[in-house]
Amino acid sequence: MIPLSHFMMISAALFCIGLFAVLSKKNAILILIGIEFMLNAAILNFVAFSKHDKLASGGQVFAVFAIVLAAATVAVTLAIVLNVYKYYKTIDPTKIDQLRD
Amino acid sequence: MDTLTQGNLSLLAVIAAILPLFTFLWIVLVPGKEGRGASFAIFNISLSLLISAFLFIKVWNTETIHEQIPWFSIGSTVFKAGILLNNLSVLMLLLVSAISLLVHIYSTRYMQGDPYLHRYWAYLGLFCFSMLGLVITDNLLLLYMFWELVGFSSYLLIGFWFTKDTATQASKKAFIMNRLGDLGFLTGIMILFSQFGTLDIHALFAQGGLVFESIIEGGLWKSSGNVMPEYWLTIAGLAFFFGATAKSAQFPLHTWLPDAMEGPTSVSSLIHAATMVAAGVFLLARIYPVFDATVLTVIASVGAFTAFMAATIALTQNDIKRILAFSTVSQLGFMMIAMGVGAYAPGIFHLVTHAFFKCLLFLAAGAVIHEMAHLKEKTAVDFDHQDIQNMGGLRKSMPLTFFTMLIASLALSGIPFTSGFLSKDAILIQSFEWAHDKSGLAKLIPYAALFTSLLTAFYISRLIFKVFFGEFKLSSLLKAEFKVHEAPAAMKYVLLVLAVFCLFFAFSSNPFNYESSWIVKGLVITSDSPLSGIATASSHISHVLIPVVINILSLFVIVLAYAWYVRSKQAPDFSKNFLFRFSQKQWYFNEVYQKGPVNSITNASRFTYIFDKAIIDGFVNSLGKVGILLSSIIHWIDRYIVDGLVNGIASMAKTIGNFARHFQTGRLQHYMITMVLVVLTFFIIKIFFQAI
Repeated sequence: MIPLSHFMMISAALFCIGLFAVLSKKNAILILIGIEFMLNAAILNFVAFSKHDKLASGGQVFAVFAIVLAAATVAVTLAIVLNVYKYYKTIDPTKIDQLRD
Repeated sequence: MDTLTQGNLSLLAVIAAILPLFTFLWIVLVPGKEGRGASFAIFNISLSLLISAFLFIKVWNTETIHEQIPWFSIGSTVFKAGILLNNLSVLMLLLVSAISLLVHIYSTRYMQGDPYLHRYWAYLGLFCFSMLGLVITDNLLLLYMFWELVGFSSYLLIGFWFTKDTATQASKKAFIMNRLGDLGFLTGIMILFSQFGTLDIHALFAQGGLVFESIIEGGLWKSSGNVMPEYWLTIAGLAFFFGATAKSAQFPLHTWLPDAMEGPTSVSSLIHAATMVAAGVFLLARIYPVFDATVLTVIASVGAFTAFMAATIALTQNDIKRILAFSTVSQLGFMMIAMGVGAYAPGIFHLVTHAFFKCLLFLAAGAVIHEMAHLKEKTAVDFDHQDIQNMGGLRKSMPLTFFTMLIASLALSGIPFTSGFLSKDAILIQSFEWAHDKSGLAKLIPYAALFTSLLTAFYISRLIFKVFFGEFKLSSLLKAEFKVHEAPAAMKYVLLVLAVFCLFFAFSSNPFNYESSWIVKGLVITSDSPLSGIATASSHISHVLIPVVINILSLFVIVLAYAWYVRSKQAPDFSKNFLFRFSQKQWYFNEVYQKGPVNSITNASRFTYIFDKAIIDGFVNSLGKVGILLSSIIHWIDRYIVDGLVNGIASMAKTIGNFARHFQTGRLQHYMITMVLVVLTFFIIKIFFQAI
C-alpha cells in the first residue's frame, strides 16, 4: 500500500515543475504545458484523496470532470495563442509587454 | 392764418432757438477741414432771424403764447417745460438773433485766417442757442439751465485765444463770477418754489398770476398754498438780483466784464450788446412782479452806483475796448436804475437801443483794431494796437467807420435824433419822478444818473477825438505802401446796418418823446404789482426840462473834450492826481478782490492742499504700508506652508506612483511571479503566526 504522502510528494513535484515551466519558458505553448502539469498535480491529489472519501469514488469522478475541463481550456488557450501569434507574429511572452504603462 | 395755432408758433420758436445748436453740433461732431462752418453758421442764424421776425409780427401786441409739455415729475409735482412768447420774449428773440446775425457776418472777415475758426463758429452757435433758449423758455429751472449755458459758452468764447494767458485768466474770472451769481439765482428759485410750488413763469408772474395773488399781511407773505415770513420775499428778490448782477456785470460782481475783452472783439460785441449782459436785465424783467419796494430800491441804488463808478473808470482808460467795456457796465447800471425805479418799459427799451449802439461801437472799434493790427504786422514794430494813445486822425483813412462810430457815440451820449436819447431820457425822467416822493439818499439816484450821463458824454467824446481826430500818432511808421484803410466790405456793411438802428426812426416816430416809441407802448405794465407799490404817475414838466438840461450839459462836456483833445496840443495832465489814479486803477476793485477773497481762498486751498498731502495722504500711505507688510507675511505663509502641504502630498503620491510603476513591466510571467510570491508570503505568514 503506497502511503498518501508519496502521492502528495509527486503531486507537489509536478506542481513545482509546472510552475517553473510557466514562469521561465519563452514559448507560450510550453507555458501551456506547464499549466497542464500543475492541473494534473491537482487532479492527482483528487485521485489520491478519493481513498478517504465518504462517498465512493467522488474524487475520481471529480478528476475525470477536471480532465474534461482541462481539455476544453486547452482548446480555448490554443486558440488564444494562435490569435496572439497572428497579431504579434511571436508567441514569446517576454516580447508581448503591452500591458506596461 | 388760422392754420398757425399756438402750438405751431411755439414749435417755430423752438426751431429758431435750436438752429444755432445745429451749427455747434455739426461742427463738433462732423469732422472736416479747419475753419469750416462759416456759411452753415450764417445760414442757421439767418433762418433763426427770419423765424424770429415772423414770430415777432405774429405775437407783438396780440396775444401771449404759452405752450407746455410735461417734463418730469417728482412725487405728485409735475414739472412742465414749455415756451412762453409775450411781447418781452419776442422782442428779445428778434434782438438776439438780429445782433447775432450781424456779428456772424462781421466775424467772417474779422476772424479770417484764425487757425481755430471752426471752433469759433461752434462756440458762437452754442452761445446764440443758449441765449435764444433763455428768452423763450417758460420755466425758471430751464431758464436757469440756459443761464448756465450762457455762462459756459461765454467762458469758451472769452478764452477762445487760449494760448494767451490773460485770455484764459479772464475766461476763468468770468466763469467764477458768474457762478457766484448763479448761487443767488438758484436761491431765488428755491424760495419761489417753496412758496408757490411751481416754477412756471407764466403761472407765477402773468397778470393775476400767483405772485399777484399773494399778499403781505401782518408781516407774513401769504399765497394760496403757503405762508412764510415777509422777509423771505425780500430775500428772494435780492437773490434773483444777485444772480442778475453777475450776468449784467453790476457792482460788486462787475470785474469780469472788462477782463472779458481778452476775447475776440466780435465776441465782446455779442456779449455786450445782446446776449450775455442782457440776460441779467431780461431776468429782472421776466420776474419783475416778485420784487418788493426794498429790493427795487436796492436795485436802483446798485445800478446808480455801478453806472457812476464805471463811468468814472472809463474816463481814464486807454485801451479802446476797455473804455467801451466800462461804458457797458455803466449803461447796464442805467438799465438797473430803470428796473429799480419801476421804469420797466424804458429799461427794456434802453436794453434794445443799447444793444444796437454798443454792438456798433464794438464792431467799429474792432475795425480800428483790425487795421492797427495789420499795421503792426506789416511794419513789425511792437506797439499796443488797442491803445488809443497810438491812434489819431483815423477819420480820413476810415471815413465810414468814423461816421458810424460817431452816430453810435451820439446815441450813447443821448444826443437828440438818436435812439439813445429816447431811452436814456426815459430812464432819467422816470427816475426823477420816482425820487420825487422819496426822501433821503434815494433822491441822489436820479442825480447820480444825470451826472453819469455827463461823464458818458465826456469819455466817449474823448475816445472819438483821440482815435479819429488830430494827427496819427504813429505816422512815422506809415510809408507809401502801408496805409491804414477802410475795413473790408463784410464789416463795413454791418456797421452801416447797425448805424441805421442807432437813429430814432427805428424806434419812434417822434424823436423827442419816448412815450411814442412802440417798444415802450408794447411793454408798459397795465396794472401794477401789489408787492412793489409803484404807481405810474407822470408830471409832464420834467419831460421837457430834463432832456433840455441834460443835452445842454452834454454839449458843453463834448465841447470841453474837443478843446482838450483836439484843439490844444497837450491835454491837461491829471496823472499826478489821486482821483485820476483811482479811476485808472478801476477803483482798485481787482486789487481788493485779489487781496481779500481771492488770496484768502487761495491760501485756504493751499493750506488744505498741504493738509491733504501731509496728513490725509500720510495716513493713507501708512495704512498702505501696513497692508503691504501684512500681505508679505501672508504671502510667505501661503508660499511655504499651504503650498508646501499641497505640494508635499502631491510629491508623496508621485513617489509612490514611481515606486509602483516598476512592477508594471507588462510581462505576463513577471505578474505571475509576483502573484505566486504574494500567495506564498501569505501562506508563510499564516503558518508562521499559527506556529507562534
